[in-house]
Amino acid sequence: MTLRRGTLLFAVVALATPSLGAQTMRAFSVSRPTKGERMLRATLDFGAGRVVVQPGLPGTLYRATVRYDAERSAPVQEYDPRTGILRLGIEAVGGGGVRVTSRAQLDQTGRFEFSPDIPLSFNATFGAADVTIDLGGTTLVDLAIWSGATRSSLTFSRPTKGECRKASFTVGASELDVRQLANAGCDEISVEGGVGRATLGFEGEWRRTSAVAVALSMGALTLRVPRGVGLQITAGRFLTSLDVAGLTRSGNIWSTANYNAAPRKLTIELKTSMAGVNVEWID
Amino acid sequence: MRPGKGAAALLLVIALISASRLEAADRRGVVGELSGRVKHLIPANLIGDPDVAPQAVPGADAQGPSVNPARLDQPAALERQLRTALRRPIDATRLTVVGGAARLGHYSVGSAETVHGHIVVLEGDVDIHGRVEGNIVALDGDIIVHPGASVIGDVLAIGGHVREAGGNISGSVQSLEAVPIAPALSTAALPVVIARRAAGFVGVFLVLLTLGFGLVTFGRPNLEIVSDTVMHSFGRSFVVGLLGEVLILPTFGMLIVGLVLTVAGALLVPFGIVVYSLLAIVAVLGGVLAVAHAMGETITRRRMAQGLRVSPNAYRYLLTGLLALGVTWLAWVAFGWVPIAGGLILSAAAISTWFVGTVGFGAALLSRGGVREHFAGRIVPPEMLTDEYLWATPQFGVPAVKRPAKELEE
Repeated sequence: MTLRRGTLLFAVVALATPSLGAQTMRAFSVSRPTKGERMLRATLDFGAGRVVVQPGLPGTLYRATVRYDAERSAPVQEYDPRTGILRLGIEAVGGGGVRVTSRAQLDQTGRFEFSPDIPLSFNATFGAADVTIDLGGTTLVDLAIWSGATRSSLTFSRPTKGECRKASFTVGASELDVRQLANAGCDEISVEGGVGRATLGFEGEWRRTSAVAVALSMGALTLRVPRGVGLQITAGRFLTSLDVAGLTRSGNIWSTANYNAAPRKLTIELKTSMAGVNVEWID
Repeated sequence: MRPGKGAAALLLVIALISASRLEAADRRGVVGELSGRVKHLIPANLIGDPDVAPQAVPGADAQGPSVNPARLDQPAALERQLRTALRRPIDATRLTVVGGAARLGHYSVGSAETVHGHIVVLEGDVDIHGRVEGNIVALDGDIIVHPGASVIGDVLAIGGHVREAGGNISGSVQSLEAVPIAPALSTAALPVVIARRAAGFVGVFLVLLTLGFGLVTFGRPNLEIVSDTVMHSFGRSFVVGLLGEVLILPTFGMLIVGLVLTVAGALLVPFGIVVYSLLAIVAVLGGVLAVAHAMGETITRRRMAQGLRVSPNAYRYLLTGLLALGVTWLAWVAFGWVPIAGGLILSAAAISTWFVGTVGFGAALLSRGGVREHFAGRIVPPEMLTDEYLWATPQFGVPAVKRPAKELEE
């Protein structure tokens, strides 16, 4: 009798017990149609996981699909139609900030799309994330990306439509790989980095002269410049190795021979310490 | 409880809980259909019934639950509010919707209808054929915007989907997936988990037992000295073990640096790494086995003192001690799946194992690997314990007094 009751109790407990150690991953999606907006000021926050940002379909202002760890974070989407300010991403539950406490958090994914037709001001903050961004074809006005311990890959696969004023990248202990920057057509580009490796590739359709400012410490910077572009590098460096084949030096300025006459110009101001800078010419 | 009734109750409970679980995992599938049939046999107030009769939800009083769906920026927070408002039986639910109304069960807006204000639908689908001027929220249901319908506002489906079947939605379209039924430890997986842990436990136990028997066979004196050190200098062994754990890595670093600094020693670095690692492993493992030996010896002697006739030998000591050490892990194997208690048992097992390892490591260090008897309580030299010595030279007590003088006997 006792054994039978024990078996019954065991079965009840076993069946009623919630799962152990289970992570609660949930999916959230949001989209909004365009309604004649003049500007979209998007801010994206994503603590940990894999993120993809890309242009969306015409007629859709923005679309987001997020898979997140519901025990530690919650999805955010706030849009104000009057100001065009949009906030997307996931935020830590409890306001403790970005803190990766579980491997499950690294399984989080987010895909964000923005209208290719509405002028876009895009600010993004990433924590421990693996980020892939392609803003080619968008009407980019300005871009600012802050990333912590991330591996960020940013591409402009097609020329953007807008007049991009500035693109800035602030990276911590991370790897930043920016390609086809010429397609972005930004007047100013700034890179500020801590410990990490950064690659800036200026491939693409060259529309205007760009001024690039790079401040880097304890890292490696590779500049990929199309052959024929007039390049001038002003370097303020401390314990930095500079590998600039094809450039002639005058004081702390390195220039290509055709810099003054070149139709496409790129000026780079370097402030580096304990870093290695390498210029690669691409055909 | 008679056997027949017990079995019936068991089956009923299993059917009840399984039905609710399976149904939650697949609301509209075949499983959901089958579980629904099972659940119809059970009173509705015992389980949540998704087929709620369509009805309006009365507003709550001033202190009651209230939601404002004017902004759907925080879907997870809104979901919490709505789920908190739900009551069982479902008819008892009260909810105030600021700027709108709440409904239970399926809800439909006809093609000729226009609804002004927000709509919150709990546990049911929303079919829009007409016009809604406000936001729509569905909890555990889909929102279907049919051809010709229009929604001037945002729509949010929590635990469901938004289907744009030809209608027009002017605002945002959001869907938040239902909390999934975690498959980590389903009912069927529980015996598997227990069996897997049991297999791991048995494997580790057999490995330790084999190593221990080998140690008894080939290094018994050393094992007994370490074991005696554990028994006679327990606290000291723990402190030394703790210090040893702290210093093991710095000492290793110093060893490597010392070897590298000398030209000849640099060649010995790989050898040094291997030897040091092996010595550390042997000290910890041997220490644990020595603690098991000490525990087994203590237990066996207590049993013998109670009159049980058992053979006191080192093999038995080791087996008994390892079984005693494994009790907490055995408890974890059996009940580790229980929420909270399982974690506590695991913590207890881990801490006790660390404690045993630390004491054993300390004893191994104190006795220099079972060579030095200083802390083993062996203050009398072994030759003084021989029969010849004890017979020949009683020094204290009655035998010494009564022993006739050698000259007188002659």
